[in-house]
Amino acid sequence: MIELHNVTKYYKTANEKKYILDNVTITIPSDVNVGILGRNGAGKSTLLRMLGGIDFPNSGIISSPNSFSWPMGLAGGFQGSMSGRQNVKFVCRIYGKSDYEIEEAIESVREFAEIGDYFDMPIKTYSSGMKSRLSFGLSLVFDFDYLIIDETLSVGDKNFQEKSKKALRKKIENCNVLLVSHSMPVLKELCDVGIVVHKGQMHYCNNIEDAIATYNKINK
Amino acid sequence: MLFMNKRTSIEIFKSVVLALFLREVQTRFGTKKLGYFWAVFDAMFMVLIFAGLKSAISSKSMPGLDFPVFLATSFLAFFLWRNIVSQSMHAFEANKALFAYKQVKPFDTIVTRVLLELLVSSVATLIFIGIGLYMGLDISVKNFNMVMLAVVWLCIFGFALGLMNAVFAYFYEFYAKIVNVLMAPLMFVSAIMYSVDSLPPVLRKIILYNPLTHFIEMIHGYYFHPLTTQYVDYEYMLYWTLIPLWIGLFFYKRSEKRILSS
Repeated sequence: MIELHNVTKYYKTANEKKYILDNVTITIPSDVNVGILGRNGAGKSTLLRMLGGIDFPNSGIISSPNSFSWPMGLAGGFQGSMSGRQNVKFVCRIYGKSDYEIEEAIESVREFAEIGDYFDMPIKTYSSGMKSRLSFGLSLVFDFDYLIIDETLSVGDKNFQEKSKKALRKKIENCNVLLVSHSMPVLKELCDVGIVVHKGQMHYCNNIEDAIATYNKINK
Repeated sequence: MLFMNKRTSIEIFKSVVLALFLREVQTRFGTKKLGYFWAVFDAMFMVLIFAGLKSAISSKSMPGLDFPVFLATSFLAFFLWRNIVSQSMHAFEANKALFAYKQVKPFDTIVTRVLLELLVSSVATLIFIGIGLYMGLDISVKNFNMVMLAVVWLCIFGFALGLMNAVFAYFYEFYAKIVNVLMAPLMFVSAIMYSVDSLPPVLRKIILYNPLTHFIEMIHGYYFHPLTTQYVDYEYMLYWTLIPLWIGLFFYKRSEKRILSS
């Protein structure tokens, strides 16, 4: 369960405040997979970052008894000068894993990511597809209550997309997902409910189909 | 499967600092083959240069102690402090990508860099001791505990300035430039190649406004038998430690969220 209480978030531009969320109060119930829709710049990624605990509202409270993954996205989260293996070790360490668990995690990420020798090369030599393979593989190692995923499912080749969707479906038997995507089939397939972020408001829809319909209306 | 058990904030802090420390060791020294070399040998070159200069100018001006040892203690302490301050200043920027994990706080990156500099300095010190013994220099310490106290205090002083600078430099690029300009001549006005006592009274008064002079003098005074700590003003050192520490913590607390989300 996630509760937002009078949450306001804005960015200051040259001469005005651009509101991402304007005094939003909403409760997202437990045990549902949430698809998040909105136009570019509507604040979807900011919302995910706030839920992940690395960005903060200007006022109001976001609270949840659950654990969240880091926002898995195309950018960030990896230190460019470190290799894939070193980054996996780093993330395991900050989550307080033992050496044995770290070895296990390295093996499973290496197997999942299928990036071959690049696993021991600096991340800055990776393509964006390889980065998201690594990021996604790494997130599967941990047991979060919520996985926060920002568009990563739409990168990589067909083969890998299928593989990660399959892995995700298996994963969300035991946890929930907060998913930002512009791909309606992916949203329909994985999510139960939807949130449309538009003009500083969050429209909660009990059904992902309704959320897609609302989103399409906005875009007309 | 790895389960997410609840950890206390101290446990999280410790595991984050350990992870950051291992990461810094790898990136700082691992990627550049000469990284380890420079970390230890910049102090050594300074000692060689100034010991050479000194012996060229005058043969004996500090009776009762070996001048290279005097220089070694000075430069080890000075580089430890200078590296803590300058490395801390850029710690936020260098670790920005890792703030994607909510466990990693900017503060942790400063603590990590202080510990890393302490490790580098310890290794350099051991090598210096080895060389000193090999060359038959007098490296005996008058009051070991007080020297250690001075070094620890010096680190806290560096940490306080480093934290304060890191916060200001993150928001004002100009600030970092000013600090770098101020740091450049510091090596020559901190009683590193000479003792305060050897200066004329006018210069003595001026140089004692520099807080670093007091720290170096404290180390010298407790390390070498013929030297004293008569010019060390502990109260002045305490002000220079506590005020930057307070300013640093105050502004860090206020801007932590902005640093994380920018």
